[in-house]
Amino acid sequence: MARSTRSPARLIVALAVAGVLAVFLLYTAVAGNSTPSLTPSGLAGHVGKVQVVGAVVGPIRGDSHSAAGLRFGIRDIGSGAKSPVVQVVYRGDSPPPLFAVTRHVVVSGTIVGGRIAGTGIVTKCPSKYVPTKKY
Amino acid sequence: MSGLALVLGAAITIAAVVFVGLPFLREPRTDDDRLDAPSEAEAGRLELVEARDRALAALKELEFDHRTGKITDTDYRVLVGQARRAAAGALRALERSSEAGIAGQQEDVQGDDRAGHNGSDGRGRVAVDERPHHVAPGGEPDQGHERERDPERQHDL
Amino acid sequence: MADLGRAALAVSLGLAVYALVVGIVAARSNRRRLAVSARNALFACFGSTLVAAAVLASALVRHDFSFVYVAQHTNRTLSARYALTAFWGGQEGSLLLWLLVLTGYGTLAVAVNRRLLRDLVAWVVPVLGGIATFFAFVLVAIASPFDTQTAPVDGLGLTPSLQNPYMAIHPPMLYLGYVGLAIPFSFAAGALLSGKTDERWLVATRRWTLAAWAFLGVGQLLGAHWAYVEVGWGGYYAWDPVENAALMPWLAATAFLHSVMIQERKGMLKVWNMVLVALAFELSVFGTFLTRSGVVNSIHSFAKSPIGSWFLAFVVISTLFSVALILWRLPLLKARTKLESALSREATFLYNNLLLVALCLTVLWGVLFPILTQLVQGETRTIGRPYYDFFLRAFGLPLLLLMGIGPLVAWRKASARSLLKLLAWPIATAVVAGAILVAVGAGSSKPGLIAYTFSAFVLATIVVELVRGTRAAGSLFRLVSRNRRRYGGYVVHAAVVLLAIGIAGSSAYQTTTEQRLVPGQTMTVAGYHLTYRGATHIDTPNAQRVQALIDVRGPWSGRLRTGSVTYTGFAGETDREVGIKTDWLRAEDLYVIADDFRPDGAVYFKVLVRPLINLIWLAGLLFVVGSLVALWPDAREQRRLVTRLAPARA
Repeated sequence: MARSTRSPARLIVALAVAGVLAVFLLYTAVAGNSTPSLTPSGLAGHVGKVQVVGAVVGPIRGDSHSAAGLRFGIRDIGSGAKSPVVQVVYRGDSPPPLFAVTRHVVVSGTIVGGRIAGTGIVTKCPSKYVPTKKY
Repeated sequence: MSGLALVLGAAITIAAVVFVGLPFLREPRTDDDRLDAPSEAEAGRLELVEARDRALAALKELEFDHRTGKITDTDYRVLVGQARRAAAGALRALERSSEAGIAGQQEDVQGDDRAGHNGSDGRGRVAVDERPHHVAPGGEPDQGHERERDPERQHDL
Repeated sequence: MADLGRAALAVSLGLAVYALVVGIVAARSNRRRLAVSARNALFACFGSTLVAAAVLASALVRHDFSFVYVAQHTNRTLSARYALTAFWGGQEGSLLLWLLVLTGYGTLAVAVNRRLLRDLVAWVVPVLGGIATFFAFVLVAIASPFDTQTAPVDGLGLTPSLQNPYMAIHPPMLYLGYVGLAIPFSFAAGALLSGKTDERWLVATRRWTLAAWAFLGVGQLLGAHWAYVEVGWGGYYAWDPVENAALMPWLAATAFLHSVMIQERKGMLKVWNMVLVALAFELSVFGTFLTRSGVVNSIHSFAKSPIGSWFLAFVVISTLFSVALILWRLPLLKARTKLESALSREATFLYNNLLLVALCLTVLWGVLFPILTQLVQGETRTIGRPYYDFFLRAFGLPLLLLMGIGPLVAWRKASARSLLKLLAWPIATAVVAGAILVAVGAGSSKPGLIAYTFSAFVLATIVVELVRGTRAAGSLFRLVSRNRRRYGGYVVHAAVVLLAIGIAGSSAYQTTTEQRLVPGQTMTVAGYHLTYRGATHIDTPNAQRVQALIDVRGPWSGRLRTGSVTYTGFAGETDREVGIKTDWLRAEDLYVIADDFRPDGAVYFKVLVRPLINLIWLAGLLFVVGSLVALWPDAREQRRLVTRLAPARA
């Protein structure tokens, strides 16, 4: 039987691309849910898992390790005092050391009754690429 | 602007301008301003040299793969024949090209002698290779060809 | 002196434009003196950029707060060492570093190759000039490090978490990597523009690519180590967009380093290599864009910067340029030979490339997802860690396996029987290793177990290859010195295996326990007994430090301190100071975080025991060794190149 002399390269590439897409589809079907990333003012009408980016509004009360959780507010970054504040009840690891009133944070959690039941907090490192404000 | 900064700034600018203009300052006029790219013959020779190097490297890889057990004896016998033929072909093509090149150079030298040229290319450099050609007496191996084949003897198996 | 800096940058811009415009004219019209003039402009551009850099460095060390940049990133109490590292601590300084490294690399690469590759270099110069023009323009017109003000009494200082040796060296390493990828890109573009698409550009840039790739790898590991010891959340990589920005070009460059070997030997994958080298460069500029634009949410940035749109425009234009160039020269990029067998060294390189590029594009998709969803759906959506972890396993584990199989496969066409015979011992090693691991309880994590057994397999194949190769060559030294690239590569493979073991061990087999303790209480984690003795407060003029003292008994016995420090000069920035005890025999870390210090003395502790994590840092050292072996100049190879490319000249 004569052997094919055609290069298998194209077949390999085609199979590989198909394989990668199959893996991708598998992931998306099984576990691929993305999370909306919103601002506090844009939360209206959303339910379920969210990621909220904003500035911390005091007072900060409670303990993230207790049943009552750590309670604070969050509002749009750069907005004035009149912009709406959304309440967060965060339970989980201690918040990062940079966490404080006016810090910019990303809170991950679920919207429950107009509040955020937070499960994760990330504070943003001071940016190297934007001039820091003078104080 | 402080005086020192002005002086330094001016110095940098002047130095930059001079450096950029240096080729024209060194050779205000020249007969040959062509970019020194390889000629077609050179490019052809280069391709043959690269083909030779690839063929010899492939042969060497094949030998190494066989010695380290990556290829069976049967496959080796088939592949080494093909690789040796490819290497021999590349060597022959390069030798033919070298011989044609030497003949061409000899014609060029004779032509230049007839025309009274001194062989210079206008930049004071000799245009033709004037190394002596070691042509062996009849019947003896030509060492020059072997050097051309494998100057570093690194393809010795 | 700021005027001198501004003038030097303006001269750099002028020279870069000259190198670009005149370089194109010279190359097109084949004019030697003009080409040399353009080349000199590139060299001079490095000179004037160096002057600008010296001005900024001097201002930083002298604490000249009339420079806005100096005032924003240093203060009088900052040591000279960290004052100098503030050079790359901000936008403008880091852009100046980009330009300095670009023109420095470009000068060296062009100078080294100017005689052997004249026709190619004539086109490389304007490409480098074009890239330099962009950065010089941004520095002159958009983000100058030489803005001045009435000098305040003191500056704002450098963010305390950046005052760390790892963070001092992490950015320069990354830049030497990112910017270094511009060299193979410029030579590739030069090859396409000149029509000289043979392997010369590959051979000329081989070491440049390897060096850039090595710097990028080391830079990432340094950043990961900094995050682990300084940021103190217990992890080292968070799949943050800014972290991914360095990973993506590194993956593309890894694929390129492998596939160039195919083109050099077989004349195949020419188009693929052009695409890869362009992809690596574009991803490095894209990464620079990501970190400065604020276009994606990242722990590392928060506000949109005006510079973002300029970078985006540059990425778009340079990508279109690369695509157009490759399409135009497609007829010159035909393969000389073809792939003969799906079981050959060439084929395994192809599989490896496909997996690396798949992983790279997966990460890119994750990074771009928020931007794309915002554009398409009007709502920003993010993809979290599980996505990246899934694909790291899906593509990373087969890659690990290929690292073991590939080196044992013959070129052109391998015989399955020979391959299985060679793989017998490594397979047996992997099976035995797997059985032992299951017996000691490591079967709890399937991905971890798979990673371990594959790692054992790869290490065994490296040993097989070295043993057989030594027998064939006569000695190990002769074996390695005759083919430094290959055996340096095997050392790097061993480093990757260590990395895989370290990552698997520290994540899949980590133990975490959290508890609030009052003084005198004890908690137990993975065989360690930690007794909290009490907290101490230490106040200095610059900072207030609180530390919990913990006595540890177990596999290691001793005292650990952990807590936090609040800096008075930085709007009360607080940093964690974690307690880490490394057991080098087991490469394991006991990692203690103390939070929430209460007035009654109670402290909340999170304790992690991370097995094998230190293999990750050891892998970094081995990676450097392997890269150095691969980079080591080979005098015979250099003579061969000169003999080949510089024929009879008197």
